Amino acid sequence: MNPAVATLNRLFAWKIRGIRWIEIIGVLLVGVMVFSVYLAKAGAAREGARISELERKISDNGQRVRLLRAEVARLEQPNRLEALSRGAGLVPVDVHRQARVENLPTLAPIPEPGSVVIAPPPSVPAAPAPEVER
Amino acid sequence: MSVQDPHAGSRPAPSWGVRRFTPSWRWLTEAMWWVEHAFGRARADARPEEDTRVRIFVILSAFSAVFVCLTLGAVHAALLTAGAGAGADSHPNAVVRADLVDRNGALLATNIVHYGLYIDPAQVWDRRAAAAQIRRALPRVSRTRLQTALYGDRRLLVVNRLTPREKVAVHNLALGGVSFEPEDVRVHPLGESARHVIGSVDTGGVGLSAAERAFNDEIRAAGARGESFQISIDLRVQGVLENELAAAATAAGALGAVGIITDVQTGEVLGMASWPASNSRNLATAATYEMGSVFKTFTVAAAIDTGRADMNTLLDASEAFQIGSRRITDFHAQNKVMTLEEVYLHSSNIGTSRLSTEMGPRVMRDYFERFGLMSRAPFEIPSEAPILPGEWSDSTLASLSFGYGISITPMQMAAAMGALTNGGRFIPLTLRKGGRPDVRGRQIVSPETSLTMLDLMRRNVVRGSGGRAEAPGLRVGGKTGSANKSVNGRYSTAHAVSTFAGVFPADGPVNARRYQILVLIDEPQTYPRTGGFVAAPAVGRIADRIAGFLGVARKADPYRTALGDRIPGFEDLEGDGR
Repeated sequence: MNPAVATLNRLFAWKIRGIRWIEIIGVLLVGVMVFSVYLAKAGAAREGARISELERKISDNGQRVRLLRAEVARLEQPNRLEALSRGAGLVPVDVHRQARVENLPTLAPIPEPGSVVIAPPPSVPAAPAPEVER
Repeated sequence: MSVQDPHAGSRPAPSWGVRRFTPSWRWLTEAMWWVEHAFGRARADARPEEDTRVRIFVILSAFSAVFVCLTLGAVHAALLTAGAGAGADSHPNAVVRADLVDRNGALLATNIVHYGLYIDPAQVWDRRAAAAQIRRALPRVSRTRLQTALYGDRRLLVVNRLTPREKVAVHNLALGGVSFEPEDVRVHPLGESARHVIGSVDTGGVGLSAAERAFNDEIRAAGARGESFQISIDLRVQGVLENELAAAATAAGALGAVGIITDVQTGEVLGMASWPASNSRNLATAATYEMGSVFKTFTVAAAIDTGRADMNTLLDASEAFQIGSRRITDFHAQNKVMTLEEVYLHSSNIGTSRLSTEMGPRVMRDYFERFGLMSRAPFEIPSEAPILPGEWSDSTLASLSFGYGISITPMQMAAAMGALTNGGRFIPLTLRKGGRPDVRGRQIVSPETSLTMLDLMRRNVVRGSGGRAEAPGLRVGGKTGSANKSVNGRYSTAHAVSTFAGVFPADGPVNARRYQILVLIDEPQTYPRTGGFVAAPAVGRIADRIAGFLGVARKADPYRTALGDRIPGFEDLEGDGR
């Protein structure tokens, strides 16, 4: 018989207190696997519970957000804002008092601070020059 | 483990087993007995060790096969199955119906969890005190319902649709036997504002009217994905439209009013209002009107598009137009020969009657069909069918040319005006943001006709009957309409419909961004009742206020400066000092 095979056979047949060592190792490995599967499952269950909890929180927060958005929509609805604005004496801005950013240089300059000369009020309101003259 | 039996190999299978089973099962029982007797056979053949090994090997193989299957199944379940994991099969923010939002994301309708209040009388200690406390915390609860629940013999619903605030108020009473059950409720936080556009939903979450019904399936699908559903409405534009419409209708002491604002290039409805808002009937789709002189726009457009007339064509309005025994006159008679432009600007019945009778019934009918005046408006909200003339005689043609003898819905008018001002493409109006992807515009008049009509409408505001619709720098164009209503079969001067169909900006190329504003006032009580006095000012104010929202800059055109001042050159050029 091949010496290597003979050594293997001997190793395989080696017993501790009448039990083959390879069976002991097998049982130990099975034990380790069972325990690791238990750990993995317990971990997964914990994660699952956490995910459910987070999703419940997201859902609760979503509900609160919906509630607040509905409240904001109610408070900001154009009819209500206009009624409040009219009540406060506000009106749409007159066209002569509107200007665009590009027209800023053409508007009347702000008077120098500390100027002693009191200029008469301008007869024409500050207004942007028409952009297109056709 | 079988008992060793040296004679087992030759013993036949028990006779009862073989007889009971059908022949197809016989091989199985024989195989079982063969395995059972294998040990005996092996000893008989002097191969006892082999027999044991065979058995161990067979059992090992069977278990291995089972475990390999289990392993493969587990691997498949863990790695290859889509959507695995806790709660991943549905969106955490999924709702029965998606939030309905406007084109900018402003909320129009949403689902809020409300609560049903239940009372189990067996767990209530002091019923009288409980009744008093609940009524104090929740004044809207019905007294009889509460009594029935408190003195009944089983758990009963007392009131449903409790808001979260009401629920907290009752919950804080810490009463025994009181419990809550969540229920999903559709909430329209804007109240009556935009109600005719948004519509309503039943308790089962199914849309009943307007956008909620038209887009029911898509809203539910978006809700399942946790998304919002956008419609074409711009809430700011809608707000301005509602406020100005209400102001105009109230000032005129009107019976009703309709306002529609659309993007003429896409057919999107940006605002749609029906006054009074408390009336559940949407007058924009559910009511038909004879709209009067606004129809002159269609008559003139048909005449220009067929090549029968241009701006300088002369029409004799020096005297009344006689058709049989019928005499057609002008409201503001000029008693002169007019150009087509003057006919439009003076809103001459005589001029348009002459045009329509010259074109004849076939051409008029063809163009009315092209403008969508002969059939229901194709729109997501079902609308009324128009009331059409029974015959197309010359007299009818004359009436049709200035807007009598045909009743249409305001939606039809808005769609037709849009088609005339967008380069001549009829685009069905829609509440879908971005327009309807499944519909292509139908060319109904040439782009040149569209440009001519835009210029005519602008001139009508600058020097014609629509002057009160002018908004500084926004180049508003449009046509007024004033019609008497038919009461008991006769046209009554006391009952009028005043309309203004406007468009802005009226200059620029045919495919420029442009918006159509229609305001119709039903039965104004103030004088004068014409569209130019009742409806046109509202259109001007609306254009002035929504231009900023829509990104329309104030500019000068050949007639007015950007600030709305007259350009004298134009007036001199035309030689018309009116």
